[in-house]
Amino acid sequence: MPPLLKLILIRIGLGVLTLLLVSVVVFVATQALPGDAAKAILGREAANKDRYEAVKEQLGLNKPVLQQYVGWLGGVVTGDLGDSLAQGSPVTGLIGRRVVNSFILVFVAALVSVPVSLILGSITALRRDTKFDTGVTVGSLTLAALPEFVIGIILILLFATQVIKVMPATSRVDSGLPILQQLELFVLPALTLTLAVAPYITRILRASTIEVLESEYVMMARLKGLPERLVLNRHALPNALAPALQVTALNLAWLAGGVVVVEYLFAFPGIGSLLVDSVANRDMPMVQAITLIIAAVYVVANLTADILTILVSPRLRTGLR
Amino acid sequence: MSTPEIRVNDSELVEPVAVHADSRPSEWVMMLREAWRMGRTKIGVVIFGAIVAIAVVGPWVAPYSPTEFVAPPFSPPDIPTTWFGSDYLGHDVLTRVLYGGRTVILLALLATIIGLGLGVTLGLITGYARRWIDESIMRILDVVLAFPQIVLALLFVSILGPRLWLIVVIVGVSHAPRIARVARAATLEVAQRDFVRAAEALGIARWKILFNEILPSITSPLLVEFGLRLTYSIGVIAALSFLGFGMQPPAADWGLMINENRIGIVIQPWPVLVPVLLIGILTIGTNLIADGLGRALIGIERDTGVG
Amino acid sequence: MTDKDRQTSSGFEEIGELVSYKRFSRRGLLKGAAAMGAAAALGPIASACGGDDTTSEETGAAAAEGSPTKGGDLVVGIVGGSAKDTADPHTGSFEPDIAIQYIMYEGLTMWDWDMQVQNLLAESIEPNDDASVWQVKLRDGMVWHDGKPITADDVVFSMERIVDPKDPKVGVATLTGVGPGSTKKVDDLTVEIKLTEPNVILHEALAERSCKIVPVGFDAKNPIGSGPFKMVEMKPGEQFKWEAFADYWDRPPYVDTLTMIEYADDTARINALQSGQIHAMSQLPKSQAKVIESTDGLALLNAETGAWRPFTMRIDVKPYSDVRVRQAFRLIVDRQQMIDQAYSGLGAVANDMYGRYDAGTPDLPQREQDIEQAKSLLKQAGYDNNLTVELVTSEGALGGDEVAAAQVFAEQAKAAGVTVKIKKTDASVFYGDDYLSWPFAQDFWATRSFLQQASQGTMPDAPYNETHWEHPEWLSLVQKAFTTVDDDERAALVAQAQEIEYNEGGYIVWAWRNQVDAHSTTTTGYKLDKLGGPIGRMYFKDVYFVKG
Repeated sequence: MPPLLKLILIRIGLGVLTLLLVSVVVFVATQALPGDAAKAILGREAANKDRYEAVKEQLGLNKPVLQQYVGWLGGVVTGDLGDSLAQGSPVTGLIGRRVVNSFILVFVAALVSVPVSLILGSITALRRDTKFDTGVTVGSLTLAALPEFVIGIILILLFATQVIKVMPATSRVDSGLPILQQLELFVLPALTLTLAVAPYITRILRASTIEVLESEYVMMARLKGLPERLVLNRHALPNALAPALQVTALNLAWLAGGVVVVEYLFAFPGIGSLLVDSVANRDMPMVQAITLIIAAVYVVANLTADILTILVSPRLRTGLR
Repeated sequence: MSTPEIRVNDSELVEPVAVHADSRPSEWVMMLREAWRMGRTKIGVVIFGAIVAIAVVGPWVAPYSPTEFVAPPFSPPDIPTTWFGSDYLGHDVLTRVLYGGRTVILLALLATIIGLGLGVTLGLITGYARRWIDESIMRILDVVLAFPQIVLALLFVSILGPRLWLIVVIVGVSHAPRIARVARAATLEVAQRDFVRAAEALGIARWKILFNEILPSITSPLLVEFGLRLTYSIGVIAALSFLGFGMQPPAADWGLMINENRIGIVIQPWPVLVPVLLIGILTIGTNLIADGLGRALIGIERDTGVG
Repeated sequence: MTDKDRQTSSGFEEIGELVSYKRFSRRGLLKGAAAMGAAAALGPIASACGGDDTTSEETGAAAAEGSPTKGGDLVVGIVGGSAKDTADPHTGSFEPDIAIQYIMYEGLTMWDWDMQVQNLLAESIEPNDDASVWQVKLRDGMVWHDGKPITADDVVFSMERIVDPKDPKVGVATLTGVGPGSTKKVDDLTVEIKLTEPNVILHEALAERSCKIVPVGFDAKNPIGSGPFKMVEMKPGEQFKWEAFADYWDRPPYVDTLTMIEYADDTARINALQSGQIHAMSQLPKSQAKVIESTDGLALLNAETGAWRPFTMRIDVKPYSDVRVRQAFRLIVDRQQMIDQAYSGLGAVANDMYGRYDAGTPDLPQREQDIEQAKSLLKQAGYDNNLTVELVTSEGALGGDEVAAAQVFAEQAKAAGVTVKIKKTDASVFYGDDYLSWPFAQDFWATRSFLQQASQGTMPDAPYNETHWEHPEWLSLVQKAFTTVDDDERAALVAQAQEIEYNEGGYIVWAWRNQVDAHSTTTTGYKLDKLGGPIGRMYFKDVYFVKG
């Protein structure tokens, strides 16, 4: 097997292993719940022993833990995530539309932040120590430090409630209407996510581009007297592609976590705000499902970043041979 | 899988193989000195110092008790009695702001210290232990890394309820893998050096070598990590309070204030705006310090010939 | 499970149980209702709630604006809702379910907004001499939403459906004396209800929301009612939509359609109201009243009610087993301050007695904050500046206003040397194993008469005796009152019982809570409901859009 393929397969294998362990953590964590799910469902009626036992049986709580886990995991794989305690109907049906909403929000945010960070990152790297570079660096250092909700609230105060009231302060997306008719509801949440993630990524990209520009083979190319344009196109850019692809994947990974607070802040009907509600209601099947989804997106995005880095980075490939 | 973590400081992008050539325990002092020369570090220290000062001194200079009712709910500012007006219950906003910084800063520091302690221990062990121990610990850390910090915290809050110790521990634990990686890389490098080899040859116990010889040599990258993780700790802990899972009423806490008073933002923005700004300024301060330290570290490594 | 624990702390709390008592006449329930005769529940409903008869409880603008305009699409926002929402009027108990019950279904009778019973589908409802047999005559010419006539068969079907022994519905608890087979058709518009035991207030029980009449073969998936609005869209957990029912037996609604949108978040609802996405919203957080008042184009629906949300002290555990501690705690409360801070002033000071509109409630001196007296009582009880107690509260179970009230109490208690630790719990924990056993907690109650409330919360066999109240003298008074037919005699007994609780009881009844909703001033004609139901108990027939 070619070493490159082997390396990639190992990475994927480890990714699957991680996901499996993640599912164990999520499952075991909910087993630690004081009391049990049957009591949580019945409330005061749990005092009725017959009903309590019946519900326990129904939920499979009398089976050994390992069997319960396998059953649960089997359900997860086949798309059966159990019933929500708060809503009383299957989790899969309840989160479907919210997954779509969150995905659109993340997509819009990525659509803006990826090119912005790519452009800013590479320009600042190429024009290092110019005024532009300093400005962007200081700005991104400042913005990158701010928690998402700080950015979001400042945007709300600026654009929705206090200074200029042009935007809605909350984003209750109506599932009955086409998304295009309610685009304005996406503006502030997406802008918040963009402002939170873009500086992050810009800084990473700037640093890695500088690294490439200072690498030995780019230096060599320069020493050989090749024109700068050629140096950049032939030698620097292919190596800078790795960070660019990484940026996209990292963006997605970051946004998977970032949506939680931002959706809550804007009352945006996605899985992030649903997670917060479910935690408050201790709706464990829902919490399990959403944490698993977010962790999976996070792992897969990071894995993709990893593999893309291996694939496009000439140095890494060379190093393997 | 080596999940590439999301990183922000340039220093992290250089493989954190940190200390080189000879072991100088004072290397981190050099780094601090170098960092202090940078304007950004100075600004960061001043900002951080100012916010900490507000948090520490605040309760002594506050005009009222944080739970006393001074006005009807959501009253606008009325200088000089209530500078920022009143909150949802009619407490003085200024007073609660002056009281509300301690918890954020203290909890964030605790979480970061736990994360640093745990991360360094794991990093030292994995960097200096047999391969299978290294491998299994790193796999477990990958699992922790698979959750965004806020999601991991929410998962455990949903099980055990919003408890402060839990939040501090979970935020600390979620830092550990990231810190462990830095510590591990540094340890791997230091472990190859002559003085470690010499100690091993003398038959000194491995744990003694770890803590007496290796740990002092990797202080600098850990200091940089500390600054960086502190910034994140503040963000996550304030966010949890903002979501309603951190400090509980009637506590005065910046994150909680935002949560409690968000509903009145249209008529009385101050109890939201002031804590938001203070949290923002605080994280900017710690991030500037971390950035300064990171740059100083890179600078020193360049000077010593490797980087 | 009783109705209570399935309900959230909505404004609809337990109004469904309002008449679950049976041994005293309606007059005990209604202060100042003396003029009402024994069978006063007559007069056609049109005169009570018809659009041309603008009563005092309607919002002011209605009368001034002249004749109402027709047309428009009315949208209301409510809180809560889930995939569990049901359009079955006999089973639902959550806020959206109850709203649906009031919007599209009707009973034989109804409570009006001053808590009087009025005929609705019934043209007349008459008991025999000992109230063991009731005859109900329906109005002629009424039709269901699907155009079929409303007949005696439907009434029989509905009653049997509610009391079905195999699947009893919520209303069975209120319909004392009605069993399977009790209801018989006499002719197309007449039924006869033969009770298993006499019940002088059956006409009140039939006014309950859980006793609505549905057509033969009713299917909640395709709901048919008789009310002024006919359902056209059902999206549980999201929204419901109705059209004005043109063939309604009384004047049809002014608006063309009515949509009810469910929100999980108060901020989002307020925002929707301000931006005009909705025209009215229920259950405004009280701290938001000021926002609404100060906003052009928005108005409050601020209804005085007899609903109360007490602090509950268990009189059989320390330190509350010492009556001096209970008295001290009642003296700690600055009631007006608590109303001002926790309810934003939207409530009236109460005096540790319940039954606001009860004719028997005595006029005792208003209890005021008295820290010195409280301290001295606590000292006598052996607590000299060293009492620490835990107060159990729950935003999920009681609402944010009550958590605020708990904080106000904790602050006020400091002055008396009492440290109050607030324990915030999830609704599931609050109603968990320790519910009704918390030593010091809070709870919520709707508008009720004293005796009815006693049977719910303070009698030895009451389902919710959360203070573990036990008092032989009090009990003998109350038991006597339950069998006393004469109104004045009964009132005197109630007064004595109330005085005992005023002096020794385990409740701190500090306020009568206003029901606060909001609407945009582009619409008007909403009711103010003493019963404490949101948005005038979800009554939109008289609502219309203001011209211009």
